[in-house]
Amino acid sequence: MNQSNDQTRPSPHVILRVSKLTHRVDLESNTLTILQGVNLEINQSDSVAIVGRSGSGKTTLLGLLAGLDTPSEGSIELDGANISALGEDERAALRAQRVGFVFQSFQLLPALTALENVMLPLELAGRQNAEARARELLQRVGLGERLTHTPRQLSGGEQQRVAIARAFACEPAILFADEPTGNLDNHTGKDVSDLLMALNREQGTTLVMVTHDEQLAARCGRQFHIEGGVLSEPETRQQAVS
Amino acid sequence: MAATGKLQSVRREWRERDVRVVLAALIIAVATVATIALFASQLQRTLVSSASSFLAADRQLESENGQPLPPAWLAEAQQRGLETAEMTQFSTMVFGGGHFQLVSVKAVSDGYPLRGEVEIRAGFNEPRQTLKSGPAPGEVWINPRLLRLLELKVGDELELGTRKLVISSLLEREPDGGFSLAALAPRVMMHQTDVASTSVLKEGSRVSFVYLFAGAAAELSGFEQWLQPRLQPSQEWRSVRDGETLSASLERAESFLLLGGSLAVLLAAVAVAVASRQYAVSQRDTVALLKTLGVGSPRIGRLYLRRLAVWGVVGTAGGLLVALPLFWGLSRILGDVLDQPVDVYLDPKALAPAVLTAFVSLFAFAYPPIRRLRNVSAMRVLRSQPGESRRELVPDFIIGIVGVFGLVWAYAGDVQLVLALLVGLGLLLSTLVLLGWIMVMGLRKVRGGGNAWRLALLGLYRHRQASLSQIAVFAMTLMLATTLILVRTSLLDDWRAQLPEGAPNHFMVNISPQAVNDIDEFWNSRGQPLDALYPMVRGRLTLLNGEPIKEAVSKDERVNALNRELNLTWMDTLPENNRIVEGEWFAPGKTDGVSVESELAGKLGITPGNSLTFTIGSEQITETVTSIRSVQWDSMTPNFYVAFSPDSSLRQLPATWITSFFLPKTAKNELNAFSRQFPTVSVLEVDNIIERIQLIVVQITQAIEAILGLILAAALVVMAAVISATLQDRQREGALLRTLGGRQSLLVQATMLEFALLGAFAGILGVVAAEAAVFALQMKMFEGDFRVHWQVVLPIPFISAVVLALFGRWQLRPVLTVSPMLLLRRLE
Repeated sequence: MNQSNDQTRPSPHVILRVSKLTHRVDLESNTLTILQGVNLEINQSDSVAIVGRSGSGKTTLLGLLAGLDTPSEGSIELDGANISALGEDERAALRAQRVGFVFQSFQLLPALTALENVMLPLELAGRQNAEARARELLQRVGLGERLTHTPRQLSGGEQQRVAIARAFACEPAILFADEPTGNLDNHTGKDVSDLLMALNREQGTTLVMVTHDEQLAARCGRQFHIEGGVLSEPETRQQAVS
Repeated sequence: MAATGKLQSVRREWRERDVRVVLAALIIAVATVATIALFASQLQRTLVSSASSFLAADRQLESENGQPLPPAWLAEAQQRGLETAEMTQFSTMVFGGGHFQLVSVKAVSDGYPLRGEVEIRAGFNEPRQTLKSGPAPGEVWINPRLLRLLELKVGDELELGTRKLVISSLLEREPDGGFSLAALAPRVMMHQTDVASTSVLKEGSRVSFVYLFAGAAAELSGFEQWLQPRLQPSQEWRSVRDGETLSASLERAESFLLLGGSLAVLLAAVAVAVASRQYAVSQRDTVALLKTLGVGSPRIGRLYLRRLAVWGVVGTAGGLLVALPLFWGLSRILGDVLDQPVDVYLDPKALAPAVLTAFVSLFAFAYPPIRRLRNVSAMRVLRSQPGESRRELVPDFIIGIVGVFGLVWAYAGDVQLVLALLVGLGLLLSTLVLLGWIMVMGLRKVRGGGNAWRLALLGLYRHRQASLSQIAVFAMTLMLATTLILVRTSLLDDWRAQLPEGAPNHFMVNISPQAVNDIDEFWNSRGQPLDALYPMVRGRLTLLNGEPIKEAVSKDERVNALNRELNLTWMDTLPENNRIVEGEWFAPGKTDGVSVESELAGKLGITPGNSLTFTIGSEQITETVTSIRSVQWDSMTPNFYVAFSPDSSLRQLPATWITSFFLPKTAKNELNAFSRQFPTVSVLEVDNIIERIQLIVVQITQAIEAILGLILAAALVVMAAVISATLQDRQREGALLRTLGGRQSLLVQATMLEFALLGAFAGILGVVAAEAAVFALQMKMFEGDFRVHWQVVLPIPFISAVVLALFGRWQLRPVLTVSPMLLLRRLE
């Protein structure tokens, strides 16, 4: 993996801008602040890792960035749209067109074959040639021979590959990954993260990844740390070089 | 082991969703079956006691030959613990207000009526009151029309023979107001002890003595066995079942309750089956884990067996707790409908089917997959193993079918019913296999989810396995519910057809041939035209093929018709409610031949071609039987055992005429004018009886509706249970679809459409199977003609589609309100 490629990309365009993001959850007796005053700017084609311990608020942040939930305070601008001001259906439309997801527990539909799982977002977005595109992607992730297998018949690594193929199916501008290797062994995890990085590069997608795996985080252009709901960006290699 | 012991703690288990569904299904199953069985038993008791009031008792013994019944019989009955009362009926002239009038007297002892109530009022404008007694000695209660005829008022005296009795009330209704040709004139009810002092009854008077009996069924049948050998031919033993008008309705109502109960058993079994299977499948991971921890297969088997037993007990107890207040409530409603207090009776025998249903369906459906849990590989903990093959499911299916139909058989004791339901189910399942194939083939080609329709079809394909099993259960549930609705509809139609609005409610007998035209004219001019008039000649059937009839018929057959004079008639056209079952109706111009009623013919072994000899006064007429005819005895029109051809020799004999007609309550006063103009004609008022029959039909109808309501509620619960079995998967899918960019509205539309399609499929299958089952049932149990019930059949797929669409929407609720991220994490 060549880090310098990341640095030489021309004219950075901000795809994700977060300002003063705060998120609270009301519990029975008190209110829990999960995220506090988060500010963040991510450029197109960046690869960003958000690292933190369990319960630090990283997955919540990811959900908010992807527009799966709305913050208590602050604003999030995704690809020019202020998603905190959008309605649920507008956010869904934005996700369908611009956003891809990879989950720790794969989240494939058990009743569908690998091919059908990858076709799903294409069909939701009303794309033509969904099947051809899904076949091509599964071929790309090395599962060309397993098209008709259901998740039950696939190993964890294979399931995550299907999930990655699905995430890239609609050529998203930005891909959110939540502990993509969290459920995999080291070797398989490495294969899967290689694939993720490679596809990310090929398609020029922005990658925002939440992980507690320092090694995986180190493969991203930028790293953020989150602790107690507060996000910080330690001096990364990128900044050190500049 | 403490941990495995903990697995059995019901409280802990309640927290598991699958266990909750199983227990809920069990509780509902037990509650439904127990409520229906209890209510059916209660209803039967109430109906029989209500119908018993037609006799004013459970049994009547009547002597028709003017000889009193032996008092020792009454003593014997009392000794056997039966309640008794006496009644004497005769016709006589009374004098009052300067007029004479022929009346029909009923003298009753203390204790009358043993069943039912007498309705009286103190004057024309006084409120009605119901009593469980007859008049006191020295008093009479008389028919209101008689009071007008005699121009008397309440409180005046009436001379009955040598005795003066005070008119203390107007008699509005008597519980045993059934009609017999003896009770022709207006009624006077008096006390039994006053009869002797009137000096009316002499040797040879036309009088009938009646004993009334009431008590428990066992004592009654014991007494009957004791009595039968002692009975003379002129003494007739009567039970409710002999009352022709009501027995058919009662039997049908019982059949319906039986069917309703059986369907409840089936539905309950389906609910428990679906829930417990789901549970068994969900336990695979737990079993694998237990195995990893070193728990052996036999021990796992025992552990789950104990669990099932514990659930059985908890479910049964819970179900009964729900059933009892429901039953109590229904009994109260029954009481309100009947306008009479209902003794709530908890029949312990009625609880057995509920308990049996719970345990059989639990073990027949839950145990096979749970037993196989012992074979689950411990490797499952590490890696998911392939599920069960279809071949393994075949024995399960067979065990389930045998278990459930065994249950229905045990409950209804009717092979025909079980077969009818099996036919319906067989048809249903084979159609389902076909449909499944079509669905997989057809839907495979659906691509692209841009709009709700395609997404819905895609959803059906995606969940094809779950969809098919849901369609199977829904279709079966709908089939059962529809069967019940169809049977109810045809029952009610039959009852209504039996006693339509405007059915004849008055009979006129003893019409002289000369008066026929005048009487026809009288009623025509008052806008109450008469039904057909029939001549009537009383005669005895004496010879069959030249042999004395009593010798020709086996002694085992007690044929009442042989003990008394029959009403013979001649007619040219077959009455509307008669049907030729053998032979041919009289050809025009024919002068010979007779037509015999089919039941009498059956009992006496009469077939067309036999010769019958009748003795009429001093004459004898011999005729050949040319046809056997079925007669609808409850039709409220004159019916005859024997009809001669229109130009037969019977015409030469003196005859009187009989007819029936409808007279609305508002025109009742016309009867007074009629009685004055035609004093010799007797008018028989059966409007009160008809009213009572209609009341009973209403009450049976209400009960049937209540039971139908219960079954439909149970059907809804089964559907909810089945849908909730896939709730988690669907919610997860919904969350994922939203994450992948599916709009809320699209998701809602697609899900509702998918469920609506499912509901419509299931509805169509269900009604087709129901029609098949009803066809089979109708042939046997309800003896009706089969026709397709479009008005019921058409809306059901539509309703089922709407209900399921709403269920689908309800399922989606959390998916729409909670952030998809949260939901995905929660469901992981």
